[in-house]
Amino acid sequence: MDVFGSFALLLAFVCGVYAFVGGIAAIRTRHPLLIKSTRQAGMATCVLIFIATVSLEYLFFTDSFSSAYVVSHSNRDLSSFYKIAALWSGQEGSLLFWSFLLAVYVISVLLVYRNKNGELMPYVGVVLAGVQVFFLTLNNFVASPFKSLGVETATGFSLFTRADGNGLNPLLQYPEMVIHPPNLYSGYTGFTIPFAFALAALLARYPGEKWIHLTRKWTMIAWCFQTLGILLGAHWAYAVLGWGGYWAWDPVENASLLPWLTGTAFLHSVMMQEKRGMMKVWNVWLVFTTFLLCILGTFLTRSGVVSSVHAFAQSSIGPWFIGFILFVLLVCFGAYVKNRDYLRSENQLDSMVSRESSFLFNNLILLVSCIAVLSGTLFPVFSEWFSGSRISVGTPFFNKVNLPLGLLLLFLTGVGPLLAWRKTSADSLKRNFGWPLLVGLISGAIIFALGIRGFYPLVCFILCAFVAATITMEFYRGAKVIKARTNMNLLAAAQELTLRNTRRYGGYIVHMGMVLIFVGLAGAAFNRDVQKDMQQGSTMQIGSYNLVLQSYDSKAERNYTSQRMIVEVMKNNKPLMMLYPERRFFNTNEQSGTMVAIYSTLQEDLYVVYAGQNPETNAPVIHAYLNPLVKWIWLGGVVVVLGTILALVPNRRAVLVLAGAQQPAAAPSVAQALQSAVTHREGHD
Amino acid sequence: MIRPRPLLTASIVCVLAALPLFILTAGAQQSDRAKQIGGKLLCGVGTTKCNCQQILTQCNHVGCTNSTAMLKTLDQKITAGDTDESIVQGFVLEFGTVVLAEPPKSGFSLLAWWLPTIYLILGLVLVTLVIYKWRKRPAAEAVLAHSGPKIPQELLDRARAQVARETED
Repeated sequence: MDVFGSFALLLAFVCGVYAFVGGIAAIRTRHPLLIKSTRQAGMATCVLIFIATVSLEYLFFTDSFSSAYVVSHSNRDLSSFYKIAALWSGQEGSLLFWSFLLAVYVISVLLVYRNKNGELMPYVGVVLAGVQVFFLTLNNFVASPFKSLGVETATGFSLFTRADGNGLNPLLQYPEMVIHPPNLYSGYTGFTIPFAFALAALLARYPGEKWIHLTRKWTMIAWCFQTLGILLGAHWAYAVLGWGGYWAWDPVENASLLPWLTGTAFLHSVMMQEKRGMMKVWNVWLVFTTFLLCILGTFLTRSGVVSSVHAFAQSSIGPWFIGFILFVLLVCFGAYVKNRDYLRSENQLDSMVSRESSFLFNNLILLVSCIAVLSGTLFPVFSEWFSGSRISVGTPFFNKVNLPLGLLLLFLTGVGPLLAWRKTSADSLKRNFGWPLLVGLISGAIIFALGIRGFYPLVCFILCAFVAATITMEFYRGAKVIKARTNMNLLAAAQELTLRNTRRYGGYIVHMGMVLIFVGLAGAAFNRDVQKDMQQGSTMQIGSYNLVLQSYDSKAERNYTSQRMIVEVMKNNKPLMMLYPERRFFNTNEQSGTMVAIYSTLQEDLYVVYAGQNPETNAPVIHAYLNPLVKWIWLGGVVVVLGTILALVPNRRAVLVLAGAQQPAAAPSVAQALQSAVTHREGHD
Repeated sequence: MIRPRPLLTASIVCVLAALPLFILTAGAQQSDRAKQIGGKLLCGVGTTKCNCQQILTQCNHVGCTNSTAMLKTLDQKITAGDTDESIVQGFVLEFGTVVLAEPPKSGFSLLAWWLPTIYLILGLVLVTLVIYKWRKRPAAEAVLAHSGPKIPQELLDRARAQVARETED
C-alpha cells in the first residue's frame, strides 16, 4: 500500500504540473479543449491526493510497521480514534493532510463553477494548481510519508519491518486533537480560494466586484474553520497542558492568529468594495497577505526558526516555504503593477462619521495587532541577528500590546454597525447610541460596586455591555417593524428579520459571540491558584471550594498506565462532586501526560491538576486553579460559529437597494450596465 | 425617540446611586510576591531540561524539573530578603536575558516595545491621509466614476439578471 500511495502522489504531481502549465497555455491560446483538459487534470490531481491520503490511513489501521511514518507515530495498542489523528501528527503526514484539505476545496470550486464564469475560471485553476504543485513537490520529493524502513547493507538497501511502533505523542492523545488540526488546517487551506480568485481577477481584469461576490462564502467558510480551529486549540491547551491557561502566545498559536486577523479585516473591508466600490487595492492585498500569512505560519511551525512547545513537526523544510513565499509575493506584486489601474476606487468619503470610517479604523486596529504579533514573534530572531543575544518575547509583552488594541476593536464592534453608510447625522447618533451607552455605564457602575477595580477588566465589561446592547437594539428595532406589519410576536419577528438578511444579522450574532469571548478573556484577570502536597484525607481550599484527597490509585490501560487522584469537592462545606485528575505514562515512548479535571460553571472553572509527586517527600502534589468566566469563551466560540453558518445561509427574500446617484447622460453600453448592476446588487447590509 | 438630556441625567443618577456601594467594597486583592517575580521569568530557557518557554509560575509541563528548581531558588532568595530586582538579575546572570518573559526596556530590546506604537502611529497617519484624500475628491468625479453614463432601465434589468445568474453560488 505504501508503493500505491507513493505512486498516487507522484501521479497527482504530474497531473498538477499539467493543470498548471497547460492552464497557462489554455489562457494564452483560449483553446476550449485545452481549457477542459486542464480543468479535468485539476480534478484528477485532487482525486489522486484523496487516494494517497486514504492509503496512508490504511497503513495506520493495518499496523504496517514497514512504513517509517507509521512506526514513528503509531503503535499496535493505539486506539482507532487516534490512528486517524496520527495522520497529521508528524511533518510528512501533516503536509499530506494539507494537500488533502486543499484538494477538497479545489475540487469543490472546480465542480461548483464548472459551467460558470468561463473567463475567470482558467486563471483560478492555474493559481490553485500552482499552490497544489508546491505542496505536492514537498509530499513527493522533500517529506514523503511513504518511506519504508530500511538499512544500508553491503549488498544494497535492505527493507525491514518493526514489531511495533513508537506510538503517538501523548499530548496528541486527546479527543480535541482529532478535530482541532483539521479545523485549523481547513482555515489555512481555505484562504487559498479567495487568494486564487483575487489573483485570477487581477490577472484577468475581471469585472468589478464579481470576484468578491464569488468568494465571499469561501472566505467565510475558511474564517469559520480558522476561528473554530483556534478555539479548539485553546481548549486543548487548557484541558491538556495543565498550566491553567488557554493562550500562551506561543509562536505556533500566534501563527494561527495572524491570518485570522487579516481575514477578519478582509471580511469587513470587503463590504466597502461591495457597497461603495472602495478599497479595491486594499482588499486584494488583504487577501494576498492572508494567504501569505498562512504559508508563513506553516514555515514558523516547521522551520524551528522560533522555538515552540507545539512544534511537533520541526525539520529543515523552512527554505522551501521561504522560496514559495517570495515567489508568490513576486507574482502578486507583478500582477498588481501590471493591472493596478483596474483597481481604481470609485467613491469618495462623505463624512468621518460613517460606516466607511469605522471599517477603516477596524482594519487599522486588526492590521496593527497582526503586525505587532508578527514582529513580537520574530523579534527574538532579529535580536540575535542584530545584537548577538537572544531575548524572549513572552505572554506579558503580547498582553500589554494587544489588550488596548482588543478593547479598541471591541468598541468599534459596537459603534460600526450603528453608523450609516456615507454619513451619520447627529440625530441618528443620539438615537442609536443613547440606550447602549446608558446600559454600558450602568453595567460599569454595578461591576465597580461588585469590587472589580482593574482598569482593563472594568473597561472590557463596560464595552461588552455596550456592544451587547447595540446588537440587541438592532434586533429589537428591526423586529418591531416586522411585528407591526405582520402581527407576529416579537421573537418570531426577530427570526423573520434574521432570515430576511442572514448576512447582516448573522454578522451581529458573530459580534455577540465575540462579546461573550471578551467577557471570558476579562475573567483571566481574577485567576487564582493554590498548590499543595497532599496526604490521603488532607484538604486544600481555593475560593469557596474545599478539596479532599480521598485516595489515589493506579491502573493499566491498553496503551498507558494511569495514576489517578480521587478528589472530593466540597462547596461551602457541602459535598459537590468527585474529580479525577490523572497522569498517564505511555509505555511505548516512555512519555507522560496530564489529564486535568475541570468542574466548569458559567461563574468559574475549578481546574485541578495532579502535578506529580514531591521528589523530597514523595507526597502527591495537587495544583488547583480557580479561573472565572472561562466557559464564556467556549460559549462565545459556539455563538461565533453559529452566526457564521447563519450568514452563509441564503436570504429568505432578496433585498435590492439602488444607489440614488444622478447619472449623467451618455451613450449606454451593456458593459456599463453590467458594471452598474454588479455594484448595486445586494445593497442591503 | 430618546432625548439626550434625560439620558445624561439618568446616567449621572445611576452612577451617583451606586457610589455608596463602592465605598463598602473591599480593596484589591494582594498578589503573592513569588508569583509576581515568577511572572517576569520564563521556565527552562537556555537549558535542555524543559524548553517550554512558559511563564515560570505557570509551567506545569510533565517532567519539567527545571521549573521546580527555579521556583525553589526563587523562594530561597525571597526568604533571604533579596529585592525583586536583585532576584531577577540573579536569574539573568545564570540564564542570560533570554530568561526574562518580556524584552528589557533598554538597548536594542527597547525597539520591541516601540514597534507596536510606531505601527499604530504610521497606520493612523495613513488612514488620516486616505480619509483626507477621499474627502477632497470632487463629488462630480466620484459620481462619474461610480455611475457612468445614463443606462436605460431595460438594459440595466437585463444586466442585473445576467449578473444574478452568473454570481449565484
